Amino acid sequence: MKKSQKILALIGTNIPRVDIQEKMTGEALFTDDIQFGVKLLYARIKRSPHAHALIKSIDTSRAEKLPGVRAVVTGADFSGRIGLYLKDRHIIARNRVRYIGEPVAGVAAVSEAVAEKALDLIQVEYEPLPALFLPQDAIKPDAPLIHPDLGEYEVVNFIFPKPGTNISNHFKIRKGDMKNAWKNCAAIVENEYYIPHIQHVPLETHVAVAKVDLSGKITLWTSSQSPFAQRDLIAKTWGMSPADIKVISPYVGGGFGCKAGVTMEALPVLLAMKVKGCPVKLRLTREEEFYTNFVRQALLIRLKMGCDAEGNILAMENTMYWDGGASTEYGVNITRAGGYSSTGPYDIPNVKTDSYCVYTNNTIGGPYRGFGMSELHTGIEQCVDELANKIKMDKVAFRMRNVVESGDILATGMVMHPTGIKACIEKVAEAIEWGKPSEPSAPHKKRGKGIALMWKAPAMPPNPGSSATLKFNSDGTVFLSIGGQEIGQGAFTVAAQIAAAGLGVPMDWIRISKPLDTDYSSYEWQTVASRITWTMGNAILDAAKDARKQIFKIVAKAWKENKKDLEIKDGIVYSTNTDKKISLKDFVITGIPKKKDQGWIGGPIIGRGKFMPTYVTGLDKDTGQGKRAVVHYTTGAQGFIVEVDTLTGKLEIIKAVSAFDVGKAINPDLVKAQIEGGMVQGISSALFEQLVFKEGVLQNPNFVDYRIATTMDLPDKMESYYIEVPQDDGPFGARGIGEHPMVPTIAAIANAINDAVGIRLEGPPFTAEKLFMAIKAQNKSVD
Amino acid sequence: MNNPLPRLPEFEYIRLETIEKAAQFLKDHPGEAAPYLGGTDLFVGLRDRRKQPKYLVDLKHLEGLNSLTFDPAKGLTIGARVTLNQLIDHRDVQKNYPILCQAAKQVGGYQLRNRATLCGNICNASPCGDTIGPSMVYQGSVNIFGPDGTRSLPLEDFFLGPGKVALVDGEIVHSITLPLPPEGSQGMYLCHGRNKLSDLAIAAVSVLAYPDLTSASGFRFRIALSAVAPTVVIVEEAQVLLSENPIEPSHFEKAAHIARQSCKPIDDIRSSAEYRRELVYTLTSRALNQVWDSLQSV
Repeated sequence: MKKSQKILALIGTNIPRVDIQEKMTGEALFTDDIQFGVKLLYARIKRSPHAHALIKSIDTSRAEKLPGVRAVVTGADFSGRIGLYLKDRHIIARNRVRYIGEPVAGVAAVSEAVAEKALDLIQVEYEPLPALFLPQDAIKPDAPLIHPDLGEYEVVNFIFPKPGTNISNHFKIRKGDMKNAWKNCAAIVENEYYIPHIQHVPLETHVAVAKVDLSGKITLWTSSQSPFAQRDLIAKTWGMSPADIKVISPYVGGGFGCKAGVTMEALPVLLAMKVKGCPVKLRLTREEEFYTNFVRQALLIRLKMGCDAEGNILAMENTMYWDGGASTEYGVNITRAGGYSSTGPYDIPNVKTDSYCVYTNNTIGGPYRGFGMSELHTGIEQCVDELANKIKMDKVAFRMRNVVESGDILATGMVMHPTGIKACIEKVAEAIEWGKPSEPSAPHKKRGKGIALMWKAPAMPPNPGSSATLKFNSDGTVFLSIGGQEIGQGAFTVAAQIAAAGLGVPMDWIRISKPLDTDYSSYEWQTVASRITWTMGNAILDAAKDARKQIFKIVAKAWKENKKDLEIKDGIVYSTNTDKKISLKDFVITGIPKKKDQGWIGGPIIGRGKFMPTYVTGLDKDTGQGKRAVVHYTTGAQGFIVEVDTLTGKLEIIKAVSAFDVGKAINPDLVKAQIEGGMVQGISSALFEQLVFKEGVLQNPNFVDYRIATTMDLPDKMESYYIEVPQDDGPFGARGIGEHPMVPTIAAIANAINDAVGIRLEGPPFTAEKLFMAIKAQNKSVD
Repeated sequence: MNNPLPRLPEFEYIRLETIEKAAQFLKDHPGEAAPYLGGTDLFVGLRDRRKQPKYLVDLKHLEGLNSLTFDPAKGLTIGARVTLNQLIDHRDVQKNYPILCQAAKQVGGYQLRNRATLCGNICNASPCGDTIGPSMVYQGSVNIFGPDGTRSLPLEDFFLGPGKVALVDGEIVHSITLPLPPEGSQGMYLCHGRNKLSDLAIAAVSVLAYPDLTSASGFRFRIALSAVAPTVVIVEEAQVLLSENPIEPSHFEKAAHIARQSCKPIDDIRSSAEYRRELVYTLTSRALNQVWDSLQSV
């Protein structure tokens, strides 16, 4: 059998999830399930009731005296700052609080109840300061500064803060000749959209347990998408060696970005340092999760786009004000991603982009599935629809004309790689019967169709690394050590599939070494950015290649054959030359005996592999130009048929269709599950979800009033398609698909609503009330 | 910011053998003891410290409270601890009190309804309690046990305000009675939530109508509005309009208009008052038209 045929048996096959049994039976271990014995202490956090205030004094003396309290910490205990891209966040507020819910003190006690009693005994005196809740207010020249020390913060070299302002990153693109471009446009549209804050709301709230041993070494058990990034960030923050910090991460009960980087995990570490030898557990309540955890930044986006009479988009001006919240340590890179992808998947010769990350006194903004792309595309794809309207072109034809293709020079100067976006558009248009009216189910209802495109690149530093190790056991089974996390997306299954295919062994020979443990697992930057299948997959293939090399060397020597004539299939090494066979079971630990008992060849096989993109370049600070801004773009399209009840505003999704170019679907069922799940999350954010703030105070910190789509709210007809235009450096050609399915959803639904009732709302969620009121206002203006 | 660290307070769990003893205990601890049935609202309230009783008096085990009986002459009697799912699954309820089934299905999710009770939904007296409107158009009454004996109170007189009912210390609602609906009656419960499953109603309408030769129209209508005033609103004026005049299709719109005028909704995070008013109009008009169609097709 040829190599390619053998691989096909495993790759592109719907192999059942490797974690299915554990999860279905409830045996799967999550952080809160781990038992820590009698020394366990419980942490509780005292939080700021002010959006912006100076801390005049903190008195913890009464709390410290409360029986059962073992440690109390305040900002005075640690002066350093933490942050992934911009070190702007104190673990516990010092001198100043910047958002409601910011930690001002922490307590470790024998029970959560005692810790909570202690919080009440801590006296904090504040002097309120004027607070800022809108980015457009925070950028005004006379706005009070939320971070007066911005100029002193440590920052990576691709983020550009503006000290003396509330702008923590300003990403610019200047491409082409804007002035003349507008003159050549036959149609120009200008629009503004607002996308509000939403939250990830994982079923499992954040939980972390920290223990510091007597020598000062830290062990941290966390529900985390990024055990290695947590280890390294904590090491950097405290000036420790990563080797003295061990992060253990069992299964994650929902991440969606909120369990990337370090959010609340440093708090129990700080407390544990005061009670060496005792594990300290911090488990957020749902209310704390809502009030204090990272949110998806709100975005105010102003767009101006123009095209010529034939419908070629000539120019785009894109100004984005991201509501970064009180810290933008992670969020600054979202605003950069919004910047370099700011044209959407379109070939536009003249581009002016300004993406501003703005400090406000709202909750901290952070990574959320899509990393800025849902917000960005909500603007772009509605604007594109409007432009097509204005030039009186069919919206699908208009998109087909302008969409990026292989070889296009992108706004950053990067050359676009082959992509299947046109096939995605065609697939979606066909499935929703684009151009053909859909009859409403009642006279007072109106139907409409909408389509939206998307692109997204993994947003990360230029050089995030992956590694993998394959360790054989004596029966041929293999422990696959990886650092990519299983957050429900199927990473462990795909990893095992790639390892089995790469080695040439049966799927059930591969065992994932878990839980992830930074002492034993192979290094992985983070399980974010839809990068794991691609980058970890490459590392696993590299490790398999390394193991095969060792195997062939041993067998070739034993058989006195050429390595090139050897192959592995179903765990058996065979020679294409002589038909000789040997099972891996027979030698991967013990080696192969030489003839006549004259010694041995080989020894335990350990395959090691790595992958790191080495080709991403920096972008010019003033023009955003560079050779290669990102590793690649996953592209796709979504189409919706909606029906609006004009008498109640209620919206029904009749049909929803997705198509994405995934390069290669390693496990098609998992790909479709990602597409469907992402779209559902997109539908939820389009129709229901919004964190409602009033002067920085969240008004709906619960599931009663923060509505999430249920299965009942989903369309009866959902179709998911994938296109496979291979990625040149992807494992078997694969590209990521984790975040993308929710990126175009808001815009596609908005466009369908516009088609149905001729209304464009300022932004999501497109609630029945908003739709009804807009329809009513529209009727009035017609009267 | 509300307390981000809600926690169940300490309380004493009381379980007494008889309803007499339970009632006496409640009487002896005014303001300190709360009756406990399904607990689906009680425990949320405790956790959020909206309610802080020292004692929870369990009533679930008391004799008779678990009975759900239908008598073609007297109607339906629903014991206090009958869960919403028991109610929904009961054939006589489905057949004779369909609006109550429709409304009960709107309360929370399936799992919650395994504990939540009709009696609790009614005694909780939330303006948006789904089952209150239907129970009122069925002209239900609560059967109360107290230290001084038993009494029955029509639901129309039971609700005093949000969360407030006409019970005195020591009184326990042990069952709800719904008389047999009039012959040929048709009804409908229409509610509007922000999404389809397990949301609180932001406006809801219950309509029950039946043939009656003594009225000018030959029919009588009962209309109740939920979630749009401190207590459920019975739209008397619209009921009279539809009963005392020959039916014309435009009357339904007129009745819906009266309903819109009769409610006193508030602005809150769930909806503006204005939208609630508009929903009352649309839902009332829809419910009346559909009920009318059903009456015609019988």
